[in-house]
Amino acid sequence: MRFQDVTLKKISDTTWEIPQGAGMRVPGRIFASEAMMGDIVRDEALRQVINVAHLPGIRAYSIGMPDIHWGYGFPIGGVAAMDPEEGVVSPGGVGYDINCGVRLLRSSLGVESLRPRLPELVAALHREVPSGVGSSGDVRVAGKELDKVLSEGTRWAVSRGYATEEDVELTEDRGRFPGADPASVSETARKRGEDQLGTLGSGNHFLEIDEVAEIYWPEAAQAYGLFPGQAVFFIHSGSRGLGYQVCDDSLDRMADYMRQNRLVVPDRQLACAHILAPEGVRYLAALAAAANYAFVNRQLLAHRVKETVERSLRMGPRDAGIRLVYDCGHNNAKFEPHEVEGKVRRLLVHRKGATRAYPPGHPDLPAAYRPFGQPVFIPGDMGTGSYVLAGAEGSMRLAFGSTCHGAGRRMSRTQAMHSARGKSVLSDMARRGVLVACASRRTLAEEIPEAYKDVAAVVDVVERAGIARKVARLKPVAVVKG
Amino acid sequence: MTRRRYRLLPHTADLLVEVRGSGLASLIESAAEALFSLLTDRRRVRPTGRRVLVIPPGPPEEQLLLALRRSLALFDVDRFLARSASATMESGCVTLTLAGEPADPFRHAAFREIKAVTRHALSARRGAGGWTARFLVDV
Repeated sequence: MRFQDVTLKKISDTTWEIPQGAGMRVPGRIFASEAMMGDIVRDEALRQVINVAHLPGIRAYSIGMPDIHWGYGFPIGGVAAMDPEEGVVSPGGVGYDINCGVRLLRSSLGVESLRPRLPELVAALHREVPSGVGSSGDVRVAGKELDKVLSEGTRWAVSRGYATEEDVELTEDRGRFPGADPASVSETARKRGEDQLGTLGSGNHFLEIDEVAEIYWPEAAQAYGLFPGQAVFFIHSGSRGLGYQVCDDSLDRMADYMRQNRLVVPDRQLACAHILAPEGVRYLAALAAAANYAFVNRQLLAHRVKETVERSLRMGPRDAGIRLVYDCGHNNAKFEPHEVEGKVRRLLVHRKGATRAYPPGHPDLPAAYRPFGQPVFIPGDMGTGSYVLAGAEGSMRLAFGSTCHGAGRRMSRTQAMHSARGKSVLSDMARRGVLVACASRRTLAEEIPEAYKDVAAVVDVVERAGIARKVARLKPVAVVKG
Repeated sequence: MTRRRYRLLPHTADLLVEVRGSGLASLIESAAEALFSLLTDRRRVRPTGRRVLVIPPGPPEEQLLLALRRSLALFDVDRFLARSASATMESGCVTLTLAGEPADPFRHAAFREIKAVTRHALSARRGAGGWTARFLVDV
């Protein structure tokens, strides 16, 4: 198969290599089926995989996941690990929405018993969980209190009664990126973040009620607290305006750094700085602060969901049984130990639209999940469903402990709007058995199911490649969108 | 309110916007109005308040980007929505005046959230018929 002037090498049914061409420091590796590659080569995302392979300090491969599509600088669905001594950090390798991610809440409730009260519950969630453009949360933090959020992450939420010790245990990195420095976050970013804690946002962010429709790996599902017919709550959001501003601020600083240090990369969107340079250090400190903000944001959203469900159904916490399964981000850069060329090295792993997927036995996993691997949540489109996966052995060997993050768009937003014109998206979703509450009909039109690739095909590739294993399939029954 | 001087071009993940203007100041007016049109229905915004942004001299692309970023910050930080924009240019410096009001969730439909105005595909060119610019917003 060819991509422009490059002949792609098929390594296996699920893995393709972009040979190391001129200027590339490593080859590219893409996880995809043959059918998917037919679509992927028509996008510019593979050019971005090649461009990332030029970056100083990159190790092993520039990686693309099966949900890969064009992104700013790096492709979305991209993974790149850099050596701290000589490598660079790039805000484009993380994305604007720093530590955007998903969390899954389980419950003791069955969807069938919930169904008669579903309209009332969805209306309550839409009313009580702030969503949409410019939405404000109830928890306003500024000054020293915001500093604590940025430094402590989920631990701050515990201190204010919005989280439990169990929530800390079941959040990636225990809900706190080390090295966060609130002073590295600009005043504009802080202002954008002051009233946005506990808000969902807009675009592809959502709150969903799903039914556990199918279990593939009963032992892992049991460990994660999942059972067939169960109602679960899925939250997708990130670091809101604070994170977007951190990225914007850093891009300008890094563009200056590159000019001053004559750092040449194939695409100006790959603005970057050496990891150990003051610009790199400052970005990583701000990134960690924004990541901690994102953990707290999702924690407050979960707290509000739990309260709203209990109040709406007139149930106590014990009866509703709403508890966190896990929270993981998919837009990050962080230091992790990985084996390269037979040696374990500390590398800075960029994951942009890619999820950490540690395998069974990894010491960083919560004890209850360690025999099965890290829970990974892969949202599909709002009409089809999502998957719960577990990180598998191959993730460490093949992808720096990573897997995919979603279905990936196949239609532009303008195409999706044209496609949705004249149709009632709400009625269409109702026909599929999905109740929808939304702040913006335009966002809803941009997010129609047809705008996304087939999530089942994406998940099938990562399972066959050995980087994640299917645990359960979730079917949406209600969606709240901003 | 001026007639529409922008259009959306296809892009997989985000929104690529093309704007036109007779001169650079007029181009920046069009771009600012396009940005607020992506956020809300500008026809429902009352021009009861004003915000003035002064963009220092520089390459046209950079002036455009700075004007758009500052306009977005007005919404993100102060919740200000603009109905219309007018710009003047003097000694390379662009003064952009935005007429509008604070966002009111009961009156102003929220279309979409804009994370940032990016440098991707950013261009501002003068042609025979005036200026044309393109910019990509991350949504």
